[in-house]
Amino acid sequence: MGEGIIEKDKKLKEGWEGISRFFRANSLWMLMYCTGCCAIELPQAMTSRYDMERLGMGPMATPRQADVLLVTGYLSVKTLRRVIYAYEQMSTPKYLVAFGPCPINGGIYYDAYAVINRLDQYLPVDVYIAGCMPKPEAVMNGFQDLIDGIKNKTADGWKRYRDNYEWYRKNQIESLGELRIKDEFHE
Amino acid sequence: MNKHIESVTEAVKAKFDVLNTEIVRDTQAAVDLKPGDVHAALAFLKAQGFRQLSMLTCVDWLEDKEFQLVYLLFDWDKGVRLQMRARLDRDNPKFTTVTNIYPGAQYYERDVHEFFGVEFEGNPMSYKQLFLENWDDIPPMRKDFNSRAYSDKKFPVREYKKDFTKAGDGK
Ligand code: SF4
Repeated sequence: MGEGIIEKDKKLKEGWEGISRFFRANSLWMLMYCTGCCAIELPQAMTSRYDMERLGMGPMATPRQADVLLVTGYLSVKTLRRVIYAYEQMSTPKYLVAFGPCPINGGIYYDAYAVINRLDQYLPVDVYIAGCMPKPEAVMNGFQDLIDGIKNKTADGWKRYRDNYEWYRKNQIESLGELRIKDEFHE
Repeated sequence: MNKHIESVTEAVKAKFDVLNTEIVRDTQAAVDLKPGDVHAALAFLKAQGFRQLSMLTCVDWLEDKEFQLVYLLFDWDKGVRLQMRARLDRDNPKFTTVTNIYPGAQYYERDVHEFFGVEFEGNPMSYKQLFLENWDDIPPMRKDFNSRAYSDKKFPVREYKKDFTKAGDGK
């Protein structure tokens, strides 16, 4: 009798999560962190020719209201620190899409002293979009991948970040030194 | 050469101990000065109409063991540019600030201090970090800085099992 209720509960919960995933996947608000040149492909993807809105995606103003963080291009050490701030402010579930080879392996900045090589060492990446810079078709394709990933539960970066938080934090500190931002605006 | 450039170069030559002059392009000339003359020359040129300090940058002459400061001035009325250059000892790179003449030099001095390690006496702001945060090596724009080694040391690289760089050579 008791087990039946638990079983029923679980089913209900799963069903409910499936419904919320469905709605989540079809209404994504993006926070665009235009760190590098890849950002120039977003206007095309957003405007009438490719019309991102047909996927249910739109721009959002603040991290706390956004679902997807777009890291569009290379990340300098200084920017990474602020991206981490932005990512941690977002409420779960949250997803991260990385554009171009720069966040994958450093791209043309592989030997730069101020640019990191792999974003996935510091933050969990759900979708990579290849191409330096990726064409709007590739951008749209990447977003479709993200939507599919949300529907079939493979886009689980925020869970990985939560579960392996120590590992991520260790890498962040190793490359950035201190995480706290100390500049004119934070004095 | 542009007659404005010519006349102003002559005026600088007459007033200061000029080591060398160079024509960069039709509307731009470069003047090499002794470090001690730079401030007087900048004040003089500002009074002559070069109201804008477009840029202050630095060149690392590793083999000569010298840093070269380059002040690029712009005259908006005549549309001409003038470079004032001076060389400093590379082992003890110290100079005096020009923010009292060109307040806009503030950020350039911070920049040159951060990337070359030149100290600007009289400008305490120039010691603040600008682009590089928590920098822990020699200033990165010095010629003896190894960017690749620093990047490899600090930022993990992605390992590939297959060598994709050779895949495209048709063999
Ligand atoms: S991947 Fe290419 S286009 Fe994108 S930020 Fe890097 S260099 Fe720029």
